[in-house]
Amino acid sequence: MNSNLGTIIGFTFKNKVKTKSFLITTLVLAILITIGMNLPYLIKQFSGGDDGKAKQIGLLVGSQQETAAELQKYAEAAGSKDYAFVPYAGSSEDALKQDVKDGKLEGYVTFEEDPANKSFPKVVYAGEGDMSQSLGTYLQGALQNVKTTMITKDSLTAEQISALNQPVSFSSLDISDNAKASSGKDAEKDRNQKIMNYVTVYFLMILFFSSNMMTGNMIAAEITAEKSSRIMEILITSVKPLHQMFGKIIGIFLVGIVQIAAFGVVIGANLMLPNNVGMLDEFHLSLADINMEVLLYGLAFYIFGYFLFAVLYAAIGSMVSRTEELGQAVMPITMLGLAAFYIGIFSINTPGSMLIKVTSFIPFTAPTAMLVRIGMGEVPVWQILISLALLIVSILVFGWLSAKIYRTGVLMYGKRPSFKELRKAMKAYKI
Amino acid sequence: MVALQLDHVFKQYGEKTAVNNISLQVEQGEIYGLLGANGAGKTTTMRMVLGLIYPDGGDIRYHGKPYSVELTRVMGYLPEERGLYPKVKISDQIIYLARLRGMSKLDADKSLRYWLDRFEVPEYYDKRIEELSKGNQQKMGFIAAIVHKPQILILDEAFSGLDPVNVELLKVTVKELRDSGTSILFSTHRMEHVEELCRRITILHRSNTVVQGDIREIKSRYPREEVILYTQGQVNRLDSIPGVKSVESVERGYHIHISTPDTAQLILQHAMAETTVERFEIKEPTLNQIFIQEVGESNE
Repeated sequence: MNSNLGTIIGFTFKNKVKTKSFLITTLVLAILITIGMNLPYLIKQFSGGDDGKAKQIGLLVGSQQETAAELQKYAEAAGSKDYAFVPYAGSSEDALKQDVKDGKLEGYVTFEEDPANKSFPKVVYAGEGDMSQSLGTYLQGALQNVKTTMITKDSLTAEQISALNQPVSFSSLDISDNAKASSGKDAEKDRNQKIMNYVTVYFLMILFFSSNMMTGNMIAAEITAEKSSRIMEILITSVKPLHQMFGKIIGIFLVGIVQIAAFGVVIGANLMLPNNVGMLDEFHLSLADINMEVLLYGLAFYIFGYFLFAVLYAAIGSMVSRTEELGQAVMPITMLGLAAFYIGIFSINTPGSMLIKVTSFIPFTAPTAMLVRIGMGEVPVWQILISLALLIVSILVFGWLSAKIYRTGVLMYGKRPSFKELRKAMKAYKI
Repeated sequence: MVALQLDHVFKQYGEKTAVNNISLQVEQGEIYGLLGANGAGKTTTMRMVLGLIYPDGGDIRYHGKPYSVELTRVMGYLPEERGLYPKVKISDQIIYLARLRGMSKLDADKSLRYWLDRFEVPEYYDKRIEELSKGNQQKMGFIAAIVHKPQILILDEAFSGLDPVNVELLKVTVKELRDSGTSILFSTHRMEHVEELCRRITILHRSNTVVQGDIREIKSRYPREEVILYTQGQVNRLDSIPGVKSVESVERGYHIHISTPDTAQLILQHAMAETTVERFEIKEPTLNQIFIQEVGESNE
């Protein structure tokens, strides 16, 4: 009879993957992911205009020859690819204005004596429209640097100046008992790993929630459709209901996995694009920092959690006769899924709270709550194992119960039965 | 050989009795008719035979053995409301159903193609159910029920909603299956199908078995109460013959209702004395009349 399970899984998978709605949603989401990942680059492209060439910033030198010279020197030393300064002699802005209009210049900078501060002039940037934030940051930094150089003149060496501009190095260290004693050298690696853990936990929780909602509803809808088209009566006389239910659940689980894998490929391909290559580095993230322990526990909780919710969705689907009633019927389970998700998300920074400790042992919330504790806090292994064991036991209990409800529910048409009616029917059908 | 045997099968839903002590036997290669008005208990009986629900009392045996999961492979079922996936290709779903009942993919495909050819619709192989008319959907449901060559076939209202051509097609097929040894439990409202296909029947009424047995025997148990008399000339004073209940004049003669069989002979003698008799027949009751008599009376 086990070959039947395989047949059901194959049929469910094949037919779901072939549907237009599945192909379209997957495609649309893949496109959205691609757009999202390339958005920063695209925005830069559109606002930046000219093909990656450095933007020309005019410098009206006027009487501030020294400031202008230092600014140019700084720009050369910093080697910015984005901006370059072009000095203009004299004190008339007309030529600069014309060049901005012609598109030769992004904008220009003028200097003005500051009566309150004799050592450095006031600086005004003029350009069309608002100044972009990145240009503002760049100019601010450059001018700050030039100012320091000019005020200290020759009293400080170049090294001293650069040391002054260096930000303070600041980090924290966990000295509690169960924290691993980490030497200073590992501190940064540790920090990176923590960030990666955070990312992993966050990612797995979103994965858990979204695939739960999507596939759960798919399972319920498929079963309701089978019931309302009465093919269920033929199926139930062909296969054990338990096989039928789990065949459906596993088949749709595979559909979900394929979809996730497709998104994974899309994300991977996008990361390989030349304009995105540096993205992970920018956030100091490296896939090598992924904590395998967190990932493996996370996946285990993800899969078991999926099955627990899936059997409940299947039971609900079998009780409803018409697809229109399904949304309302699955509400309680949707709420349960939402609760699990939000408890995890809101507690990600307080992995030691009582709430998360308690919920990490409740099978419905354990997939997120325990994940937070594993990834972000400290939790003894035996607690993880107890939580996993509880989860597996509850899958068996609810799976058994759902199979009974399923077996009864699929023969009950008309209005959705209450649990009392269901129990009566179970007795009447001798299930 | 007895393929299917129900022995005092009893089923109750809460307070309500759905099937009250039904007993019947379906031989190998027999079409057994299960008749009854809506709600009489036909579908419940069939569901119990299929193992969809379990009887509260009594015993169901298949080739002498009790129900087991293996039986699903030798049983076929066409539910009253045809069950197929509307949006799945016909070949995909019928092969799937056949495989669930233990057929190999290759055999299932061969069998499906055979039946599609047989029904002269080979082009449906790649179609979806929702693209077909209701009658053709039903034919596909019928194929789904027989594709795995079942030994016991349960047909719930197999011919309802079909045009006469397709009814004939399915009738021929059902007879063929019977002749090849399939045991068929067949429910319907349409008496003419039963008279043509079945040898034995059970009429259910409000969960109870009211009539059961060989159709010919059943008919002989009911008095022949209608006489058809065609004559050349007129026959007078027919209604004065003792035992005549009513006389109805038709184009070429009379339809006479009588209360005792002996009356028929009196009518014949009376008619022959008056004119030349062209046709004389004592009609046996139709199943329809028996059904209405049994079910209709207590319905009041």
